[in-house]
Amino acid sequence: MLRSARIHRVVLLLLCTLRFASAQAPGSERAADGQWVMPAHDYAATRFSALREITPANAKQLRAAWSFSTGVLGGHEGQPLVVGHTMYVVTPYPNVLYAFDLTHEGYPLRWKYRPWVNPVAIGIACCDVVNRGAVFAAGKIIYNLLDGFTVAIDTASGREVWKTQIADVNLGETTPMAPLVVKDRVLVGTSGGEYGVRGWLKALDLETGRIVWTGYNVGPDSEVLASPARFRTAYDSGANLGVRTWSGDSWRHGGAPVWGWLSYDPLLDLVYYGTGNAAPWNTDQRAGDNKWAASVLARSPGDGSLRWAYQFTPGDAWDFDATQEMILADLPIGGRTRQTLVHFDKNGFAYTLDRGTGELLVAAPYVPTTWATGVDLATGRPRVNPGKVTGASKGNVTDICPTLEGGKNQQPAAFSPITGLFYVPTSNMCMDFAANAVTYIAGTPFMGATTPYRAGPGGNLGAFIAWDAARGKRIWEIKEPYPVWGGALVTGGGVVFYGTLDGWFKAADARTGAVLWKFKAGSGIVGNPVTFRGSDGKQYVAIYAGIGGDWFLLSGDVRSDDPADVRPPASFMPDIARYTSQGGIVWLFSL
Amino acid sequence: MTPGAAAQGTGNAPALPAIRYDQHVWAGGQPPPAGTWARPTPATQETSKQGEQFFSSFNCDGCHASGAVGAVGPSLADGRWRYGGTDAAIFYSIFYGRPRGMPAFGGLLPAEVIGSLVSYIRSLEPRGDVATVRWDQ
Repeated sequence: MLRSARIHRVVLLLLCTLRFASAQAPGSERAADGQWVMPAHDYAATRFSALREITPANAKQLRAAWSFSTGVLGGHEGQPLVVGHTMYVVTPYPNVLYAFDLTHEGYPLRWKYRPWVNPVAIGIACCDVVNRGAVFAAGKIIYNLLDGFTVAIDTASGREVWKTQIADVNLGETTPMAPLVVKDRVLVGTSGGEYGVRGWLKALDLETGRIVWTGYNVGPDSEVLASPARFRTAYDSGANLGVRTWSGDSWRHGGAPVWGWLSYDPLLDLVYYGTGNAAPWNTDQRAGDNKWAASVLARSPGDGSLRWAYQFTPGDAWDFDATQEMILADLPIGGRTRQTLVHFDKNGFAYTLDRGTGELLVAAPYVPTTWATGVDLATGRPRVNPGKVTGASKGNVTDICPTLEGGKNQQPAAFSPITGLFYVPTSNMCMDFAANAVTYIAGTPFMGATTPYRAGPGGNLGAFIAWDAARGKRIWEIKEPYPVWGGALVTGGGVVFYGTLDGWFKAADARTGAVLWKFKAGSGIVGNPVTFRGSDGKQYVAIYAGIGGDWFLLSGDVRSDDPADVRPPASFMPDIARYTSQGGIVWLFSL
Repeated sequence: MTPGAAAQGTGNAPALPAIRYDQHVWAGGQPPPAGTWARPTPATQETSKQGEQFFSSFNCDGCHASGAVGAVGPSLADGRWRYGGTDAAIFYSIFYGRPRGMPAFGGLLPAEVIGSLVSYIRSLEPRGDVATVRWDQ
């Protein structure tokens, strides 16, 4: 072969490798090993598994292989873990931890751990008594109890190794989020944006559970852990932004909770997470941008120092929490590979940011959106529709899309480095918003708005979509009658999995969106599918069934177990109870 | 004596509808003596309207929703009671709090305010017959 042709071939090969690598996600080395050891599969939060046995060609042969009733009724958010040949399941309150032996027929329990969890937390948790999952590290399963404690359980014996109080229910703090472990730090956050908490992220020592640092999301730099030497934002400057952007001392009960997902870039050594709404919902009581509520924060896990932050919804007037996952992916944008962070915000916009600096690269609506017409890439700020800003002084503001449930809420998206696409469970609804003044009373709700919902354009309340975050475009869509409130899984075999509120667990072709298979799982699905290699070498997919989360508050008519609590159906979703009641089942599927 | 009758307050309390799901077994078959709790606030339209305002002012609607139809907290408008639906039982629920997260407001609110809240809650008409929901018509 001519020398120039051979060099050409080598270069071509190199380019092909780089192109594949350019869609890689950092920290996805675990992809091929058939386990699921942290909530979103890997530090990049891709929820991608390289397992390839299940494909679009054979997915119709999927069948239920096993099921287990958790014994708990309540929204089964979160996902199981599989470490080696043991599967770990955390239930909603009272947060039982089950360890299933996957090497024996029927998967009997190895042990179960039944903590005492204060029942007071049931009435303080805003959004059902959910738990978003555990993490495995150093021979321990670590998760949060609803009442403000983090526990670490030894996997060999099922015994509690340490238990640390991180939050106070008397202040309206509860703790359903899934921790993440980075090196020897257990990272945890609190809920309570509807109770006027002052949100934070804490790091606990992995061996002892001792609290090492607390980084508040609002307040003075000394408490936010932002120092001029280390903190750089792409769009804002100045000291004490967490105080100066709030009227008076409204930051003290400013919300900014941490109830969603964490991700981590091991090369940049940055932990990424989103903060929730500013409190209260009535903006008149907290004029200003309200930093860093409704934002993404990047912190060093060692000492918690804040490195950069970007605010998705300044002066949050719509309860647009930004706690949805920050998926880390290297994407081709503007002719070169960028190290990005992709985030599908409650506010209806899909953001692609440079994860080193917080610079905004792409922002486009992924659901119908009326509160803003777009996001200005030069300033990073949304172009707010002034007629859609709310506050007690503004009376009833109508036709705001999306609702405060968000274009997407806690249910996490997934990213495939093979297709380069994101798979996103979405809601299509709009709301009116009438704010009123509220008084802060510790331990009680601190909200201040009446917000009826209705279906968005088209009438379907939800859709499962594939999204190109490099170009800000939707590639395909599966319309659903109800908001899609369960998370996504995508596999190396080219299959995406997700569940619906009316109880269908579905598989679809990751390239085309063609639905390949579905199974009626016994109760609405608000949890996230995982996949693993069983002890028999086969690929299994696991999902929880058990409707709840916000859909328990709003569709209280799905409740059947409490004769003292009978509720009217939700006006915008009057027939969900026809298809599902509460449940609590773990399902496994295989070919 | 019919169950539940002994649990009613004394004084000028109006005749109460039959209350379901809150009746206790009487040990030894002995009903407890009539309660001595004196209603601090008369049950009038005015106190009921005040109670409706308080229901919002003190964040009750944040958990129980506007109209008390239920959200984080159970419905208070369905005629059914987890901890009892007499004036006294509702007063105690608000004053002392209850398991599963109902905060105790007795340290914060005077009894008259709580009494108005009780008036408002008691004024909420349960929907007709809630036992059956039908979709196939």
